[in-house]
Amino acid sequence: MIDIIQNTIDGVMIGSSYGLLALGFTVIFGVMRRLNLSYGPTVMIGAYFGTVLHLDFGAGLLAVAAAVVAGAVISGVYVERLCFAPMKAGAGIASMVSSFAIWMQLEQAAVLVLPRHTYPFPPLATGPALGIGPLLVRPDHLIMLASALLLAAVVQLALYRTRFGLGLRAVIANPIAANLVGVDVGRSVMLAFAAASAIGGVAGFLVLAVDQQVTPMFGMWATLKGLIAMMIGGLGSIPGALLGGLVLGVVEVHSHWLFGPQVRDLFAYFVLFAFLVARPGGLLGDAADVELSHRT
Amino acid sequence: MDDYLVSVLSNIGVISFVALSAYLLLLTGEISFGQQAFFAIGAYAAGVATTMWGWPLALGIAWGAAVGAACAVSLGIPTLRLRGLQFAIATLAFAEMVRILFELLRYQIEIDGELVGPNGSDGFRSIRYIFDHNIETFDFMMLIYAMLAVTLGGFMLLERSRLGVIFRMIGEDATLASLQGIAVARYKVLAAGLAGALAAVGGGLYAHLTTYVEPRAFDVMLGVHSLAYGLIGGLGTALGPLLGVVIDVGLLESVRLFAGYRMIIFGGLVALLLIVRPRGLLDERLVHRIGRLFRNTISGTTRTRREPR
Amino acid sequence: MLEVSDLVTTYGKIEALKGVSLQVERGKITCLLGPNGAGKTTLMMTIAGILKPRRGSIKLEGSVLVGLSPAKIVSRGVALVPENRLVFPDMSVRENLLAGAYQRRDKTEIAADMERMYARFPPLKERREQLAGTLSGGEQQMLAVARALMSRPRLLLMDEPSLGLAPLIVAEIFDIVAALNRDGATILLVEQNAHMALKVAHQFFLMEQGRITFQGTPGQLAEDEVIQRAYLGTRRAAG
Repeated sequence: MIDIIQNTIDGVMIGSSYGLLALGFTVIFGVMRRLNLSYGPTVMIGAYFGTVLHLDFGAGLLAVAAAVVAGAVISGVYVERLCFAPMKAGAGIASMVSSFAIWMQLEQAAVLVLPRHTYPFPPLATGPALGIGPLLVRPDHLIMLASALLLAAVVQLALYRTRFGLGLRAVIANPIAANLVGVDVGRSVMLAFAAASAIGGVAGFLVLAVDQQVTPMFGMWATLKGLIAMMIGGLGSIPGALLGGLVLGVVEVHSHWLFGPQVRDLFAYFVLFAFLVARPGGLLGDAADVELSHRT
Repeated sequence: MDDYLVSVLSNIGVISFVALSAYLLLLTGEISFGQQAFFAIGAYAAGVATTMWGWPLALGIAWGAAVGAACAVSLGIPTLRLRGLQFAIATLAFAEMVRILFELLRYQIEIDGELVGPNGSDGFRSIRYIFDHNIETFDFMMLIYAMLAVTLGGFMLLERSRLGVIFRMIGEDATLASLQGIAVARYKVLAAGLAGALAAVGGGLYAHLTTYVEPRAFDVMLGVHSLAYGLIGGLGTALGPLLGVVIDVGLLESVRLFAGYRMIIFGGLVALLLIVRPRGLLDERLVHRIGRLFRNTISGTTRTRREPR
Repeated sequence: MLEVSDLVTTYGKIEALKGVSLQVERGKITCLLGPNGAGKTTLMMTIAGILKPRRGSIKLEGSVLVGLSPAKIVSRGVALVPENRLVFPDMSVRENLLAGAYQRRDKTEIAADMERMYARFPPLKERREQLAGTLSGGEQQMLAVARALMSRPRLLLMDEPSLGLAPLIVAEIFDIVAALNRDGATILLVEQNAHMALKVAHQFFLMEQGRITFQGTPGQLAEDEVIQRAYLGTRRAAG
């Protein structure tokens, strides 16, 4: 019983970062109705920025975090300008494949800069796990969870209480009508992309700082986790993205505990598959078809 | 022909099958990130059949195709009501599950004192059929291309057939198609099965070509690549995905100059290409124009008539 | 106020507008009539900047609109109430109105304008926190009009405001159009419902297959036999 609770707690902790990754994905997908396969890789570029800063300049934790976010935003905007902005309506698949090509490009660029297989990443918090009764909670996990919740709240606020957020929601609802009320759709989309990349950067930073190492596989890993969490939680829903992340985290930790790492991944995919088949809208999203080809 | 060239060409041939598999589904309007699963299933099934059960090659590959088709259908049915992104991710999830299952699969028997068969992450070694039967690598390559030619012939027939029109109609607008009385679900499942068989044939050939398969080779990258080939080469004809494979594998193999920067250049070029040609090089419009030019040249006339004023 | 000259807009190879010219006078209601597929919505979308014309010019009180982005055109004082309303369904009535004022920064004035909209369209006031997607057709039309008005446009474009609405509501909508004009609005109205349009418009243009085929006053329109038979002879069903 204690194990179950402990695992659930750990799952929630790690799930919070999945939720953030899903959040970034959701913002991009909500705004353009297209899949960005370069999302994880842009976070990885950010991670490499931070790593270089840490290794070559001995920068402190916050500077590294800033570098990770900056790197993610810069590469994110690069992807948006090259793969998404120039594509006309109806070229959703082309955008997606283009983002895949850039994924390859970014991965190779990262490997050129940091050729070794893994690099150390500064830790989020060192110190013993806190004991709450029979349960253990790591301080870095707590920071991760708190940061994720805070960021999600900020995003929610920005979306629902600011003028920019209103414009963005208008673009998400109907880009033509948004044009008609005077929203600069192109600029809004680009800024949303940048924001999503920044969110991804924070998520990436948190994960790596807990893991204390960065590898070239991180790009694909981040894309997959964010995507899975987004689909479980429901497309187009911010609380859904977080919830999806938490569910994914909990499922992973429990199945790892019971069956080991391979079955853990198997289970995660199975849960995703089951959700898609049974409830395409995810937990909180709407079940409407999401066309990727003709209308996007 | 030198060995290296044979090897590259054989690779191109084999990968073309997965590319065509993804292309077939794209025709019906579905984006699949999972065709590599059937590639894997075909590889393992055919390998098991020839290496462990002693079957002849043709039968082994046919067996692989059958298993691949069956699995594809069993994926196609529950995902029928999914479209767009949900379908794509569902196929990705399925393919990853298949890959992980192969990482866990252990099925070995003893042959001539050796343990032979799939061994989890270590993969499936010693698929030695070709060598045991003294088939030259060149001849095997010709076999691959013979089968590819048959497949392409099949696609050409498909484009001109009622089935092909139905597929494209479903791809354009499934709702409209069903309103025309087309049993969309049935055709989608059919397409899924055919695509699965196609990828599986490629897998069977791949297994015997490389004599060794491991689960790691059948990852998401292969799946997304398969999709990309059609997009790059063009969606107007079955030659499009082939062109994509040739460009990727061929160019990548030969451009040794830029070894460390290969993907940086290639990735950027693909992105730029897609801006100007979002449906690939041989897109529907170009193919249509070439077709018209061809027909006009043959018939010796131009089709425009002057309207009387 | 608005001058459109020889406008040509294409969809690929198809010319939807084959050289359209019309003028909208300040302070008047100009009505563009025509059957389905004539290109009326294409014209509206081109003026609003959503579509880019191949050739021709669009001038608002002398300044050129062609080539500007839709957002820029809104900032020049043109607002379109689109065909099919296009309200933001998951936003409340209030938020839809706020969206209409997107380019404005004068918060107190925006709030005042919102009150004015609530006064002019009482059903919107009642439902101001309700999601726009749950409103009735007529209410959504009111919302779409109010949303466009929130940007304080110099020129109001309205694309088939009566489309799909019950006759009683249609009458209400036309009353609103007339009232707006009385209060000083310049309106370019696209309609299929010639009967109702005759009651409010000052100037008519008829568009058929991408060309303007008639221009004149309501009197001239009503007298023209061909038009009578085609557009006024039978009561046109909605849509």
